[in-house]
Amino acid sequence: MKVKVVTRILEANDRIAEENMRRFREAGVYVVNLMGAPGAGKTTLLERTILGLKGSLRIGVIEGDIAGTDDAERINNTGVPVVQINTGGACHLDANMISEVLPDLPLSELDILVIENVGNLVCPAEFRVGEDVKVMLLSVTEGHDKPLKYPLMFRESSVMILNKIDLLKHLDVDMNKIKRDALSLNPSMKIFEVSGKTGEGIDRWTEWLKGQRSQ
Amino acid sequence: MHEASIVLSLLDTLTNRCREEGYSSIESVRIKIGMASGIMPEAIVFAFEAAKQDTIARDAELFIEMVPVGGSCSDCRNDFEVSEAYVVNCPLCGSHSFKIQKGYELDIVEMEVNE
Repeated sequence: MKVKVVTRILEANDRIAEENMRRFREAGVYVVNLMGAPGAGKTTLLERTILGLKGSLRIGVIEGDIAGTDDAERINNTGVPVVQINTGGACHLDANMISEVLPDLPLSELDILVIENVGNLVCPAEFRVGEDVKVMLLSVTEGHDKPLKYPLMFRESSVMILNKIDLLKHLDVDMNKIKRDALSLNPSMKIFEVSGKTGEGIDRWTEWLKGQRSQ
Repeated sequence: MHEASIVLSLLDTLTNRCREEGYSSIESVRIKIGMASGIMPEAIVFAFEAAKQDTIARDAELFIEMVPVGGSCSDCRNDFEVSEAYVVNCPLCGSHSFKIQKGYELDIVEMEVNE
């Protein structure tokens, strides 16, 4: 007997993601799924973001890594609540991993929760975790061919942050091409240019985050 | 790389459906994968063969339909299909105003079951 099963393959994940989202809404916390390649500067951006929002918004962090707690320790040093997830090999975070650590975070005392995904420009794009917004970080050192090589990530992310712009003068990278190609894949994409090292441009990103939180 | 997680989610959904409807085993499963989804069909088959063993899909055969990327252009008003995983302009007239309508699928279509 043939049975029609018209649903997304990731329905099981999506269901848990929706439940996570319901818990986030209930707690009144705005959730950012931060994705990008290893070394793009995700943790440094986060440290800058936490610093920039200090005194105005309460932020919490979930750190996703295959192994190790280095990132969680760096976030812990900034004084905000952080939970580390070690995926033990998995190349992305999924909704269930997030669901399991939620009891370890003081959700109702947070305004923003940032979920730093496993460093990877491919797999995390596919898995919803219950976020309000998918933000991708691309460092200009990665090269201007990335949007067309990894189209799914650029299509799925509502925001792209271009990092390491302090290095542009040393590179043969065409940042306008990155923006052009990203926008052709995703015309409504919001783009920020920052330097995690010098702090340049971080204020525009944190102002945007504040605006999202108050909507 | 994430094909194993996708297969586990697929088996989870199918097993739940069978439990709800009282089916005893699955003979075949048909899924659709878009060419732009970033999923490798070979890796899906490999993961499916490994993961199905202890489930009611242990004898199930998996059929994968690959869906090319396609859309429609707002300028020349034609529909198009491409062989690449992405589209930056309409392959017919070069316009940047187009809507992608397919190629990102990751869908279950149907399964064949025994009562």
